[in-house]
Amino acid sequence: MTTALSRASLGYLLRHPWQLALALLGICIGVAVMVAVDLAVESSRKAFELSMDTLTGAATHQVIGGPRGVSETLYTRLRVEHGIDRIAPVVEGRVEIGGTPVHLMGVDLFAERQFRVFSLDVENDPGSTDLDTEALFSRILTDPNAVLMSRQIAGKLGLGVNDRFEVRSAGGYFEGELLGIVGGDASASAGELIIVDIAVAQEWLGKAGWLSRIDVNIPQEDATLRHAIEASLPAGTQLLEASGRTQSLTEMSTAFMTNLSAMSLLALLVGLFLIYNSVSFAVLQRRGLIGVLRALGVTRQQIFTLILSEGVVLGLLGAIAGVMLGIWLGDYLLVLVSRSINDLYFRVSVTAVTVSPFSVAKGLLAGLGATLVSAAIPAIEAASYAPRLALSRSVIEQRSRRIVPLIALMGLCLGLLALLLLRVSGSNLVAGLSAVFLLILGFALCVPISVRVASAILAPLANRLGGTSARLAVSGIGANLSRTGVAIVALAVAVSATIGVSVMVESFRGSVSDWLDRTLQSDLYIAAPGGSLDAPLIAQLTGTAGVEAFSTSRRIWLESPEGRIRLIAIQLAAGRHPRLELLDAGPNEVWPAFEAGEVVLVSEPFAYRSGFVAGDSITLITNAGNREFLVGGTYRSYDVNAGAVLISRAAYDLFWDDPEIDSIGLFLAPDARADDVAERLRTTLQVHPQVVMRSNVEIRDLSLKVFDRTFIITDVLYWLATGVAFIGILGAMLALQMERARELAVLRALGMTPWQLGGMVTAQTATIGLLSGLAAVPLGLIMAWVLIDVINRRAFGWQMDIQVSWQVLAVAIGFSVGAALLAGIYPAWRAASSPPALAMREE
Amino acid sequence: MPLTRAILWIVAIILVAGVAVTRFLANSETVPAAGGVSQSSSRLAELLGSQRLEGFPLATAPRVFSFPQDHGPHSEYRNEWWYLTGNLDNQDGRRYGYELTIFRFSLVPAPPGESEKAPSSAWKTNQVYIAHFAVTDEADNKFYVAQKYSRGAMGLAGAQADPFKVWIDDWSIQENPDEVTNLPPEETWELTASGDGFSLMLNLASIKPAVLNGTAGLSQKSAQAGNASYYYSIPRLRSAGSLQIGDTEHSVTGLSWLDREWSSSALADDQQGWDWFALQLSDGSDLMFYNIRKTDGTQDRHSAGTFIFADGTSQHLDRDDVVLTVTDQWQSPQGAFYPARWNIELPDFDLRLSVSPVISNQELVTTVRYWEGAVDVVGRRGGQALTGRGYVELTGY
Amino acid sequence: MAFMIPDTSKSTVQVHLEQLTRGYTEGLQRHQVLDHVSADFLQGESVAIRGRSGSGKSTLLNLISGIDTPDSGQVEVAGRNITTMKERERTLFRREHIGFIYQSFNLVPTLTVADNIRLVLELNRIPKLESDRRISELLAAVELPDRADSYPDVLSGGERQRVAIARALCHEPSVLLADEPTGNLDDKTAQGVLDLLDRLVRQAGRTMIVATHSATVAAFCDRTLELHDGKLAPHQDGAAT
Repeated sequence: MTTALSRASLGYLLRHPWQLALALLGICIGVAVMVAVDLAVESSRKAFELSMDTLTGAATHQVIGGPRGVSETLYTRLRVEHGIDRIAPVVEGRVEIGGTPVHLMGVDLFAERQFRVFSLDVENDPGSTDLDTEALFSRILTDPNAVLMSRQIAGKLGLGVNDRFEVRSAGGYFEGELLGIVGGDASASAGELIIVDIAVAQEWLGKAGWLSRIDVNIPQEDATLRHAIEASLPAGTQLLEASGRTQSLTEMSTAFMTNLSAMSLLALLVGLFLIYNSVSFAVLQRRGLIGVLRALGVTRQQIFTLILSEGVVLGLLGAIAGVMLGIWLGDYLLVLVSRSINDLYFRVSVTAVTVSPFSVAKGLLAGLGATLVSAAIPAIEAASYAPRLALSRSVIEQRSRRIVPLIALMGLCLGLLALLLLRVSGSNLVAGLSAVFLLILGFALCVPISVRVASAILAPLANRLGGTSARLAVSGIGANLSRTGVAIVALAVAVSATIGVSVMVESFRGSVSDWLDRTLQSDLYIAAPGGSLDAPLIAQLTGTAGVEAFSTSRRIWLESPEGRIRLIAIQLAAGRHPRLELLDAGPNEVWPAFEAGEVVLVSEPFAYRSGFVAGDSITLITNAGNREFLVGGTYRSYDVNAGAVLISRAAYDLFWDDPEIDSIGLFLAPDARADDVAERLRTTLQVHPQVVMRSNVEIRDLSLKVFDRTFIITDVLYWLATGVAFIGILGAMLALQMERARELAVLRALGMTPWQLGGMVTAQTATIGLLSGLAAVPLGLIMAWVLIDVINRRAFGWQMDIQVSWQVLAVAIGFSVGAALLAGIYPAWRAASSPPALAMREE
Repeated sequence: MPLTRAILWIVAIILVAGVAVTRFLANSETVPAAGGVSQSSSRLAELLGSQRLEGFPLATAPRVFSFPQDHGPHSEYRNEWWYLTGNLDNQDGRRYGYELTIFRFSLVPAPPGESEKAPSSAWKTNQVYIAHFAVTDEADNKFYVAQKYSRGAMGLAGAQADPFKVWIDDWSIQENPDEVTNLPPEETWELTASGDGFSLMLNLASIKPAVLNGTAGLSQKSAQAGNASYYYSIPRLRSAGSLQIGDTEHSVTGLSWLDREWSSSALADDQQGWDWFALQLSDGSDLMFYNIRKTDGTQDRHSAGTFIFADGTSQHLDRDDVVLTVTDQWQSPQGAFYPARWNIELPDFDLRLSVSPVISNQELVTTVRYWEGAVDVVGRRGGQALTGRGYVELTGY
Repeated sequence: MAFMIPDTSKSTVQVHLEQLTRGYTEGLQRHQVLDHVSADFLQGESVAIRGRSGSGKSTLLNLISGIDTPDSGQVEVAGRNITTMKERERTLFRREHIGFIYQSFNLVPTLTVADNIRLVLELNRIPKLESDRRISELLAAVELPDRADSYPDVLSGGERQRVAIARALCHEPSVLLADEPTGNLDDKTAQGVLDLLDRLVRQAGRTMIVATHSATVAAFCDRTLELHDGKLAPHQDGAAT
């Protein structure tokens, strides 16, 4: 390429700074959104996995016991009698420090060394000596207040070394003292863990005599050791592979994160439209220049190379800026993502995004690739012009008019392919998401033809309403399809995403709220978080005047061939049957059988994943080893945890040696005043600070709050997508108006006032917004359906009723028009205020 | 005009990118690796050298020893050890050495109290146990080492006097119930220990009574009062049992030596380490001598020993009673230079001995790095040639 | 409203230019296009303004139409001073009193031939029935009665210019401005356009100001002015054009 040629290209771009800025901004934002979501999701996934690693450490297996855990004497027996020393005891649970829930892990530092290295970080204290370190080690073992933390959690709690603080736990209130910061290798993975000596953990968590588990490290294929351990385990205790245990938890969160990744792809998709929009404008606008260059003897090859090199430069600049912006943005998204994970699955702590080269490379590549493709399509076309033809504007529109039906046909095929994929892919989540994108793409391809038809239909209507200038505005959309089409598609996809997600969230929220209403039947709930309620207290509480009946519940984790199971033992209040929605059985048959201990119930997500139906048997490990239980039915549940099995207290007491009760639900007498009863109960609870009382309304509100918080990230993502679309519209309108500057000047010369002209441009953008909004409605509803019935079902096993409110649709269309109008303000002002004489001058 | 605007735009974009770059760099700045101590193992090592003595009783005056009580733990003292070393032969005359040491430490003077709020945890303790187990295989020139540590609670590790038992996990030295004799002070014990690919089971029976070292069992280690330990030895224990190395089991016999020491003190600031000799000679006598080295390389005047006659009677040895000369050196793979051959002279006894390691590399790279190995002895007493075997411990190199 | 025959008395001054000055700044250079230009154009006369490319002919027409405003001096059209008018007022005035024909036709490509004309009529709030009538009359007059529903891009250059003439005349402007109306046309087609102008403008007694460097067009007009170095002067035969 000659330098004069590249100067012509550079000169053009510099003379059209808006164009240049929008193209760069388009690429930048498109890449940024993708990179940001990618980094946030990847960082939290990594944090999640690291946390799981911290918990399992080098353990290949774990010894798991019944509801209360593993008896600590088993550990001694394994070591002293059986000489097995590749084991370490763990006592863990949740405590609160300054109101913040944290995961407490009690370890035996001696046994721990082979599993986890918690190196003490003394860098912060240059005055520390070996003596101090030794004293620290000794204090961890002997000081009943000694606590170690990662720098992250200490920072979050605002604690420094030697600070004392109150620890609230199942066992009551205790005093802790931060003795040291866990640093080095462990700091990344220690996350939100706070580490104490195993003796301290037992006392704080009220687990004296019990271990949460025994970590085991069995070197590869050492079957002898595994058998030796298995042979020495009492009934009700199992040796399980550590990876398998964390797997179900990981799977659940993976589903969540896959959904997020899908959101980021959506943002990318909108970003791609934007990039295509901006870059192809920059090329198409130069038809004239290209025509002149061709006439001067520049070859097609040279034109193509010129435009593509320009694309490389633009793409690189935009993508690099986008990656930077994305990393910055990722920080904020990360907070939201990790909060959702914390709420739903597991405490993870991520304070900064880890910038993975893979994510960055992916973003750069996507930005550059999209730019090149966007530039290549018009470049091929531009290069193919005969020199004179290139000067003519209408030829391009004619061409695009010709290919529009072909594009629509392609879109239809993609849509059909998507439906086919949905049908054949069973419960595969990735296939479901792929189908969604095919569907969007297919729909997007159908938009141009719809726009043309719509503008043809609307034009006479506009004519009648607003005369020729209104008609001019409307027909201009169809006539300039090569510009308006992409902008409409981008906005439509963004708006349809808002519809799809809103309908999904609304339906979901409605279903959850309904489910909560059914589940929370008692008037008041009393629980000891992380611990249990003792019998005298329960007697005292349930004996309070005004309390008519009560139910109890106990939730424990069980290991099963189907993964981790949440076993919920409930004692129903006398004469009351839960209103839980049974999906495949009648309540009148099921509840008596359930109370009699003949059947258990399984939650819907669990049934969906494991294929249990009423009449099947489920194997649960009891105190006396494995035992089969008859499944009486499936109940609707939006529990995020893997699988839940409901069992009656009577049956539970029979098979598990665990008298503990986590929470009780109190039913008040019809004539009792709720406030008075609550007051009386509160008086009783004054001496039990670790026990919490909440009304059903409070619990419901809390649950919905968590629900809403979970979907903030969704909100943020679709606002981002919409922002991207907004910029697309702005760019498209600007380019369109600039391109038509001469035509607009003629209109001015013919006597249109600036206001009339501005009004016309505004009418045009408003119509674009309206068309986008209208196109977005069917697409959004399809997306909602897919999200609800395909994605959520496949990811979580949840089923929900689709609820479409007209407000959502109205808001979406209104938003679409509003965004377009907003984007049209500047172009309209520009068109109106540019002096016609300048534009009229012959080029 | 458009050019100016274009430049403004480019400047704006660069600014945005600049901010992003700054943030990027700020975020990717790696947290410097934790300095200082990175392994808890080295922390354990420091326990041995600790100066923190407040609250612990000191060995200041001689005491009355009584057995079997004193075989058991003296938990109020800061540190204590049961030190068994021995030389063994298998049925084919193949030469082995072994060491099983169980250390006990009190982290703080008093055991932790009961919790007022919650049921007490059985894991609470101020007692820590560490054990080293090593086997020397002369023919293969191999040295096997294993190590254990544990809290002294939950039955995981501990010590008791009657019936005698000191253990950590499945390593133990305990009274052999099958061979209890009614002839005190004879002790019949059983030793069990195993490492990765080697294990030892021995029956031990004392054939000499316990010998009190130092002044009636009070062994002064420096001039400072209380910087001393209570120290007794059983210099000869008949040993028989089985030694497994790899897949091969050897039945072995030989002699062992028990050292028992407890104190709340450690080395003084100007003391570098010690060389300890426990030699069993062919004429029935035994020699124990420890040479305390000062940081300046000279011999500390508190170096001392005990000579035990064949009949079990003993005589205290001062520094001046023993002339110790190093005649060879060996550099360990870790880089330390250890003495590797000695001449020992006791002029008063007309005794000249030459002591040499069975194999060079008997260095334990454990929480504390030291050399502890089987040695051979040749020499003369008066005009009579004698041989012997023993164990040497070299610390502070 | 009837299609009125304009007053043919030639005594009335239709366009009065007084001391018009207009310049452009290009880079650091000030380029004086019009330098104190004064002239009168009478009712019903056709005047050609000749000059080299860039001599300021188009600028002069833009000033007369109110598309552009002078740096100093004033323009009076139909007795009204348009230089003192506000932008909106000027636009409304132009819409009513001025018709414009361009070298490059400047038809709105997205509107049909009829709609291109209708747009101007609508801007002048001519009722639909009247508009329809005028459109068909004018299209007949410019000999394109069957092209009402065609889009401009299928017309030839001559046809496009005829549509442009129809559009320029549809609202019966006081003054018709033409900027090189035959510049893009071959001689034969150009002659056709001139014939049309003769018929619809000259014979109808309208005032027309034509910027051109074509001798044929100049000859067609009643008189010719020469724009040279920013000054307007009567054309001297034999002067370079």
